[in-house]
Amino acid sequence: MKKKTALIISSVMLATVLSACGSNSEQTASTASPGASTQATTEDNTPLDLSIAIHQAGEVPAKGNPMEQAITKYTNTNLSFQWIPTSGYDEKINVMIASGELPKLIKVSYVPTIISAMQSDVFWEIGPYLKEYKNLVAQSQTYYDNIKVDGKLYGIPVYRNIGRAALHYRKDWFDQTQLTVPKTLDEWYNVLKVVADEDPDKNGKKDTYGLMLDKNYNQGVASALTRISVSQGGPNKWKVDNEGNFTPEFMTDEFFNTMKLFKRLYDEQLINQDFAVTDALTIDKAYEAGRVAMRISGGNAQSMQTNLVKVIPTAVIDVASLEGPAGTRVPAESGNAGILAIPKSSVKTEAEVKKILTFLDKLLDKEMVNLINKGVEGKHYKVEGDYTLPLDKDADAKEVKPYRDTLLQRGETYNMDKRMKQTDLFVKNNKVVAENDKYAVANPALTLISVTFTERGSELEQIITDAETKFIMGKIDEAGWSAEVERWKNNGGEQLMEEYKAAYLKK
Amino acid sequence: MPQDKSTGNRIFDCINYTLLMLIALICVLPFVYVLAVSFTSPAEVAKGGLILWPKEWSLASYRYIFSTDTLFRSMLVSIYITVLGTFINLLFTSLMAYPLARTHLRGRQGILLAVLFTMLFGGGMIPTYFVVKAMHLTNSLWSLMIPNAISAFNLIVLKNFFQQIPDGLEDSARIDGCNDVGVLFRIVLPLSLPAMATFGLFYAVGHWNQFFNAILYINDSRLYPIQVLLRQIVILSQSSIGDTSIDNTEIQPLTIRMAVIVFATVPILLVYPFLQKHFAKGVMLGSVKG
Repeated sequence: MKKKTALIISSVMLATVLSACGSNSEQTASTASPGASTQATTEDNTPLDLSIAIHQAGEVPAKGNPMEQAITKYTNTNLSFQWIPTSGYDEKINVMIASGELPKLIKVSYVPTIISAMQSDVFWEIGPYLKEYKNLVAQSQTYYDNIKVDGKLYGIPVYRNIGRAALHYRKDWFDQTQLTVPKTLDEWYNVLKVVADEDPDKNGKKDTYGLMLDKNYNQGVASALTRISVSQGGPNKWKVDNEGNFTPEFMTDEFFNTMKLFKRLYDEQLINQDFAVTDALTIDKAYEAGRVAMRISGGNAQSMQTNLVKVIPTAVIDVASLEGPAGTRVPAESGNAGILAIPKSSVKTEAEVKKILTFLDKLLDKEMVNLINKGVEGKHYKVEGDYTLPLDKDADAKEVKPYRDTLLQRGETYNMDKRMKQTDLFVKNNKVVAENDKYAVANPALTLISVTFTERGSELEQIITDAETKFIMGKIDEAGWSAEVERWKNNGGEQLMEEYKAAYLKK
Repeated sequence: MPQDKSTGNRIFDCINYTLLMLIALICVLPFVYVLAVSFTSPAEVAKGGLILWPKEWSLASYRYIFSTDTLFRSMLVSIYITVLGTFINLLFTSLMAYPLARTHLRGRQGILLAVLFTMLFGGGMIPTYFVVKAMHLTNSLWSLMIPNAISAFNLIVLKNFFQQIPDGLEDSARIDGCNDVGVLFRIVLPLSLPAMATFGLFYAVGHWNQFFNAILYINDSRLYPIQVLLRQIVILSQSSIGDTSIDNTEIQPLTIRMAVIVFATVPILLVYPFLQKHFAKGVMLGSVKG
């Protein structure tokens, strides 16, 4: 008897457990697999549950704030954002991928770990679906080409301008000393010399510079050396000839001449002597204190102006494109601030992938473009004639910026009805940047995959980075520089060039 | 005995004191700088130079950081994990250290070796994450308190400290009718207050500075401790990931960063003086005997 009751109890328990599990899986199944014929019409009304892991830009907005409500309503989704602080973003993403604990949409960067995750099919390939989405397909193909892995597209880029570099300069100083924006390397030298010597701020001290460098002056997309060298006709990181031979920028004459210019500037104390150890923050302060004449940057001249007049009310900043003897030439950047990818472990069916892509596509509809760029009408901005005016800068920074910086938007360039009224300088800067796209010099190795680069890329880069610094500081001469380049070749550089060539020809 | 001093001695003292004062100054100045900048107006700071006393007082930075409840909330989270976490640390560390300090415990060397092993070899980030996840601790504040409840290093030092307490005390307590738990809580722990205060401080500072684990294990941003926020504010304003289509004027000025640093550092600094008198004693006592 006892055995029998035990059996009954346990079977009842088993049944409840099973049914509990069942109800769960049924729910997920009902959204995923049901025969398209019967549910197709009603399915459109059920909101899509969408979890998004994304960079935290500034403060974390409260759950269910007006912005989120508006997006939810327009796109018919139940959004849940997971904001991850920038300071630990990559580690957290790696842990999430390793543990398979992924949301339905996740922001990743185009870096070796993610690229290999894409190669091993962690994310959905969305290339074939792209043409079905009118807004997504309307964006320049370059954005998509720049994030392809083995020719396949694994996500939607969070679009950014491609040629962001512009020259910001102190117009008041330039006018006063009758300088013009430099184009050739000789002109650069001349401008830098005049600014350093003629005491444009009239404080009787020799404390002004034409240009200041920080310790990352030769690294990444913001490398000052690359930007100037490209303007002089040099390649963007890598040069490729018709046969597919790759040459790194630092083996080209244009780059070497730029380096020689900086060596001369260093010798004559026309740039900050401690650039090899100075961090970006110190440089920022010097710029904000009005001690520097020029800056090559991807920021907006208006921000510099706003910061500067707090200290020097008479300061005037202007913006110019980065021109060389042959006109404007700027290094192309990757054109994204991350990639929104759809993990296979959390999104099981093609139907759901399409729903998520629809969501992303809708973000570029007119209503959403306005919302994500400017916020809620009446709260963050108001319409006045042909323009919109910002209402509450503080609220904008706290409530709108987190979405603007992380979700899809193209600013004024796509689907925006009325421009936000901005200062002339701001508009001019935007125009320079928009023009830049035409003159952007692409990095031919951007999407090429090389084993050597994945394994030893940073080590190789370090050799050259150090050598550049040593050369500028006069610790090695031209022979020493050639020796360092040889060392780079022997330590894997040669192999890297070969691998790029092979990958390029295969394409 | 000052009258016994020769001139040589006096000169030595003089140099000694100057040197020590200089070193002390080097330690204190950064704090003064941070504090002063946080109370100075942003324009004044932008002019540059070393600020050790605000010329233009301004509370703007503090007004800014207190304009939302984000900072307060993460401060509360930090206080919560620090207080409760330290309690858990001390409880479990002493519960493990005490038996290991008793020579009659069998297999004690083996356990100690196992503890030492964890000091030398760790699983690494991802395996640890799996363990935390399997224990269903992710996305809860327990994930910041339970996985690191016992620090191997502190355990060994505390064990050595407990070993110095004479066996006789324990024996007499037993004669008076105490069991093992009674001996630990009524005899040993009260005698170990200096050590407890010291390790309490070690653990508390560790919890207060908890940052990376919080990012890894916690998904809900409302549960982030103050250090995550601090890092976010300092790092965000350092990187110029500026986008041209957006006016970046709201980049945090230095004064706001300093104000947040002050806000995040002061509480743990306040705790220190109260434990300081135990501090020197506690560390020394534990470390004398190997």
